[in-house]
Amino acid sequence: MNDNIIEITGVTKRYRLGKDNYVNALRGADLTVARGEMVALMGPSGSGKSTLMHIAGCLDRADSGEVRLGGRRVDTLRGRELVSVRGREVGFIFQGFNLIPTMTAVENVALAAEYAGVSKRDAIRRATGLLELVGLGDRMRHTPTELSGGQQQRVAIARALVNGPGIVMGDEPTGDLDTATSEEIVGVMRDINTDQGTTFVLVTHNPEVAEACDRTINMRDGVVVDDGMALFTEYRSA
Amino acid sequence: MRVVRNVFRRRLRAFLTIFGITIGVLALVVMGAMAEKLQLLVDGGVEYYGDKVVVSGPGSIGGFGVEPLSRDLIGELEAIDGVSRASGSVMMLLDEEVGAVSFGVPANINGEDGRAEGYESFEVRFADGRAVEPGERGVVAVGADLVGKLEAEVGKRVTIRGESFEVVGIAEKTLTAPDQAVMMGLEDAQDLFVASLPAAVRETVDARELVTSIAVYLDQGRDPDAMARVIAEEIPDITAMGPEGFQTSVQEPLQIFNQIIYAVALVSLLVGGLSVINTMTMAVAERTREIGVRKAIGASDGAIMRQFVAESAVIGLVGGVLGLLAGWGIVLAANSAGAASATELFLLTPRLAFGAVGFAVVLGVVSGLYPAWHAARLDPVEALRYE
Repeated sequence: MNDNIIEITGVTKRYRLGKDNYVNALRGADLTVARGEMVALMGPSGSGKSTLMHIAGCLDRADSGEVRLGGRRVDTLRGRELVSVRGREVGFIFQGFNLIPTMTAVENVALAAEYAGVSKRDAIRRATGLLELVGLGDRMRHTPTELSGGQQQRVAIARALVNGPGIVMGDEPTGDLDTATSEEIVGVMRDINTDQGTTFVLVTHNPEVAEACDRTINMRDGVVVDDGMALFTEYRSA
Repeated sequence: MRVVRNVFRRRLRAFLTIFGITIGVLALVVMGAMAEKLQLLVDGGVEYYGDKVVVSGPGSIGGFGVEPLSRDLIGELEAIDGVSRASGSVMMLLDEEVGAVSFGVPANINGEDGRAEGYESFEVRFADGRAVEPGERGVVAVGADLVGKLEAEVGKRVTIRGESFEVVGIAEKTLTAPDQAVMMGLEDAQDLFVASLPAAVRETVDARELVTSIAVYLDQGRDPDAMARVIAEEIPDITAMGPEGFQTSVQEPLQIFNQIIYAVALVSLLVGGLSVINTMTMAVAERTREIGVRKAIGASDGAIMRQFVAESAVIGLVGGVLGLLAGWGIVLAANSAGAASATELFLLTPRLAFGAVGFAVVLGVVSGLYPAWHAARLDPVEALRYE
């Protein structure tokens, strides 16, 4: 079994903004994340951190370079296979929570399992267990508007975990939360990371979030400039 | 349930769109019910005229003779090779004054000589009482649609063209011409017919010698259309109509009329379909970010497509059912208002009801296809970035 859940080498990505107007979001980025790590991906706006996360999570495709998830090449996958890898092996958490407003907490969580082909009954059962895990056992039937920001983000974490993915990617998961709630949410993720060994990659601007992670990867102008690996290796062997 | 909740996220818009479909289905149901009624009337005619030749005075339409014929013709017709029987009858309008232009067959009086018995395959059954026997005087049997208008009841008396008759039978609904007929003995009908003629003419005719149409029954295997031509050649100054004649004079014009009715209703329904496309396109645009999230949590293109098509189908279904209920209400109200004057214009058949709702659902699905396809192929990263 490969110990690195993410192995990205020399990935480039160019976006077309308009006629003859391109932006090079990634210019040969490398990234390695070990199974069970919790890492922060930092860098100024436009440094390519979200794009790198999207490519690592099979949400977007690289123009060139190699992407491996759990040892498997995914940069060559297309369509259905890509959707399948994305749905089963990666969970996403977003800044704006992004729950479906017409569904209850438990339905929101179950939806991701249903998309992965789990029967509705099993999906609800799984969702119920996960909502209890994130401390929302008494809020199952509430719709997103009836939940606080912190509670909504807990639902989103449960949703990201429902298919038992090896890795959860967070795009500014605490961006819309106050400091106290932000700490709480990072704590929830840390606990899951410790208890279940789920890998977390969190794109963030928040130094406190980065501090709570095992290591911080810094990006600038579409490349990883400091992946903090030296420090992590030291930390692990200690 | 999820689908329904999504449809009603924007209540006003959902209701307006559904209302558009409702109006279209309402038009289809009401106009279709009129077309169905006419269709059955024509089907009855096709059956009745299918195996015989109807002889009437020159220039008559659909067996309603303007000029009377002589009963002597019955013998002449039966002498023609291929004719097995000829039966005379007097048919005239029930009302002395013809009111509004009516669809289909007007209320009429029909007196038959009884010679058709054993030859006529088109049978009228009686819901109550019995048929009028040949030669019987002073009695009538009433067609189903005229019961309300005449306040007819077996054993009671009704007034027909100023004369009093006893009702001996109420016919079962046939959904075609006999529903609008007061059936009586030939002699009574002859007397009423003569009484309707101008005074000067009245003196010159012998009531017993008059009929207005003659049904000619043929030997087995004879082609009624060919026989109609033979009869028209052999006997001067008459109209002889076979099944083909009924087709060209009644069936074909009515079918064109029905097609126009359906076309008008379908156009209004298609307009409703356009508003479904509009609504679904807006729904997809508003929920771009949500589509991105759904894709990020593992939704396939097909799952997104199915979701929006299902929402669109629900709009069609709800609109269709509401339109059917509203149309049904209008048809019932119009028919009960018309029952008193024996003008039941509408017939809501199961095939029309299911067809109208089914069409609305299909329309919803088809209208949703493009917006759903557009939603399904959104790039998840771009969709997530969408504000």
